[in-house]
Amino acid sequence: MDTVHYLLEGFGTALLPINILFAFIGVLIGTAVGVLPGIGPMSGVALLIPVTASMTGGMDPAAAATSSIILLAGVYYGAMYGGSTTSILLNTPGESSSVVTTLDGYQLARQGRAGSALAIAAIGSFCAGIVSLIGLALLAKPLSEVALKFGPAEYFSLMLLGLAAVSGLAGNSMTKAGIMTIFGLLLSTIGLDNVSGVARFTYNIPALYGGLEFLTVAVGLFALGEVFKTILHKESHDGNLAKVGKILPSKQELKESSGPIARGSLLGFFVGVLPGAGATLASFFSYIMEKKISKTPEKFGKGTIAGVAAPESANNAASGGAMIPLLTLGIPGSGTTAILMGALIMYNIQPGPLLFQDHPGVAWGLIASMFIGNVMLLILNMPLVKVFAKIIETPPKYLIPIIIAISVFGVYAVQVNTFDLILLIICGLAGYYLASNDFPLAPLVLGLVLGPMIENNMRRALTASNGDFMVFLEKPISLAFIVIAVLWIVIPFVLKLKGKKVLINEEA
Amino acid sequence: MKGTKKWSKFLMIGMLALSVTACSKDTANSGKSTSAYPEKPLVVVAPSGAGGGWDLTARSLTKILNKTNLVAQTMTVENKPGGGGTVFMAEYATQEKANDYKLFVNSPPILINHLKAEGNTPYGYKDTTPLAQLTKDYGAIAVKADSKYKTLKDVINQLKKNPKSITVAGGSAPGSMDHLVSILPAYKSGIDPKSIKYVAYDGGGEAVASLLGDNVDVIGTDVSSLGEYVKAGKIKILAVESPERLGGDYKDVPTLKEQGIDAEFIIWRGVFGPKEMSKDAKKFWDDTLKKLSEKEEWKAELKANNWEPEYKDSEEFTKFLKDQETMIQKMLKSLGMEKK
Repeated sequence: MDTVHYLLEGFGTALLPINILFAFIGVLIGTAVGVLPGIGPMSGVALLIPVTASMTGGMDPAAAATSSIILLAGVYYGAMYGGSTTSILLNTPGESSSVVTTLDGYQLARQGRAGSALAIAAIGSFCAGIVSLIGLALLAKPLSEVALKFGPAEYFSLMLLGLAAVSGLAGNSMTKAGIMTIFGLLLSTIGLDNVSGVARFTYNIPALYGGLEFLTVAVGLFALGEVFKTILHKESHDGNLAKVGKILPSKQELKESSGPIARGSLLGFFVGVLPGAGATLASFFSYIMEKKISKTPEKFGKGTIAGVAAPESANNAASGGAMIPLLTLGIPGSGTTAILMGALIMYNIQPGPLLFQDHPGVAWGLIASMFIGNVMLLILNMPLVKVFAKIIETPPKYLIPIIIAISVFGVYAVQVNTFDLILLIICGLAGYYLASNDFPLAPLVLGLVLGPMIENNMRRALTASNGDFMVFLEKPISLAFIVIAVLWIVIPFVLKLKGKKVLINEEA
Repeated sequence: MKGTKKWSKFLMIGMLALSVTACSKDTANSGKSTSAYPEKPLVVVAPSGAGGGWDLTARSLTKILNKTNLVAQTMTVENKPGGGGTVFMAEYATQEKANDYKLFVNSPPILINHLKAEGNTPYGYKDTTPLAQLTKDYGAIAVKADSKYKTLKDVINQLKKNPKSITVAGGSAPGSMDHLVSILPAYKSGIDPKSIKYVAYDGGGEAVASLLGDNVDVIGTDVSSLGEYVKAGKIKILAVESPERLGGDYKDVPTLKEQGIDAEFIIWRGVFGPKEMSKDAKKFWDDTLKKLSEKEEWKAELKANNWEPEYKDSEEFTKFLKDQETMIQKMLKSLGMEKK
């Protein structure tokens, strides 16, 4: 078969010493980029483009392009491995796609299971990476056609399903989760409306034209909120520092994680293929799904290994899936893939329908190198788990200043704007206040992510259909999502009305 | 202390990541300067995040100026994201208006953001010193290859018959560049631009995807981003908004003028200085940027990025901006979106 033949040739390219070296540098920097909030994969890749350009200066153009893209892609998926580290250890998401990992990861760390959580995150990322690469190698063409058929109506219904599923992120009270979701949706309306071009809630402040930056809000709510809590509650004096615990996950933990990893990988891959949906959504969706199908949903949010395994697999799989529209259609599904595309174009290699015909060496070399890179990341990350996990033993009086510094530098590095620092602190205070009153933070963050997508896609669909709402029901994929969303909400209530004991914790 | 050692390891990782940032800022060694200006390092601002068109232009510009020794002083690129460039403009036009050592790159949004009612910035190109145009690109109107609309005339006629029957898409919000590019032919053909159904996507790529997936009928975007799809036979460009036909892959694409519509939309990128730039500095940049435009290294850099070279000196560029501003103002007015 052609695919196998090309893939073997790709391995031939990827296994050249120079490309192995480039892949290694890429994943190493990617891991570091993932660990730090602020320097996200997007800015990491963008900043490395000129560096790789000078490193590959003397090579012939096609080889230079292959080596560069191998390094840059390494940063991209390497960041997905690293992103979990600070989420689990410090409650500080390193990337937006790791926000949901904080929910259970940090709880696990507090119980002294940081080592297991980190190791499972690495293993899950690895499995997901391999799954998505197989998908990329085999299904690239047909999937890209399906992704194109996803119009505004389909996106809207998918996002609606995401919102309906928000109960999966609720703590003790469904009402509070609802309040927080709507609060998140409200915040997401700030900025220039992309459909009508009207400025909303900006009060003529240019810094607000682009809306609130998602990562600033997430870091503020989770990381600084936790910092304020520790300071105000004087937890530093209680002396019972969490222990690292064992590094390698137990057989039981591996068994518990295998399902979530498999499902997270598949779900993440398919969400990643859709342009614009991305790793963040993939991680949210997979977490919610795991909670819904779990036999012990009450454990989610209190530290269950599945709550780490699923989203961490999903975000890594999504980064593989996102390569499909990029390579086969020339359509970047996220900011980072847009920059990867820019890098390819710089070498006169245009991603798009002709890439696999015109430059098979580059395309398959990249895919093969991603297999190798994922193996490297696993080998790289397992020993690092030991190093990172020790962070948890650091006394709070040292840890807190570090968290504050990472948060502030990280946010400033991306936004270069004092406004975002103020926003960060406000979100920190809000995060503390809300969390201490038992308002779950994750629905707010999900609302902020989904808000613009729901709204824009709904209005795009309605513009195209001349205001006819039937468009959401006429398209089969869209209809299916809406039906699932309705059932998702209705079934637990019906069961409850019938007096059945409902496992899920709505209105607990 | 035990803990100290532990997080020193953590910090090492942090340093590694930070060095990523540092790496990008290494610039050529600064030699001796020949004239009084510039006497110290220079900054070129890209009023967006890393990776966009402005950023890439600023990085290419500084790289080649240093490489060819046209500027001996170190030049660095600074990113100032926010509000489509308006955050930066507010700061630049008020606090940096006499700073000869800070330049920036921009494109038509500097005109549009000043003219439109929403997301407006009170500062426009008149609050700067336009130094030179560097590159050009053109608006284009495209349909899917198997579309029932074979020519621009078909689209215009259908729009005249029933504007609701065609969905037009672009990669940016109404009142911004892609929107203006999309409606220009219709507007010039006497169709009320407000009646056209325009769907805004979050970038040109998503707009192309919506076209390929049959979710919209027509898109308006920059012609350079469509070449690959034309070659692959997936997209047909109905018109290019340039003064004359382009070469290469686009040689069969008619201009608007050939189809009886007297209009063009040039998507330029240029360099700007502060409003109260000193004479010396202005003269320095006039000479330097002219020399740059003739350098082989610069031409090669533009080619590598798929950018068309187009040099206009400060005077010509300023005049051009004035003309384009008038046109954009008229279009926004007809849309009811202009700043009153």
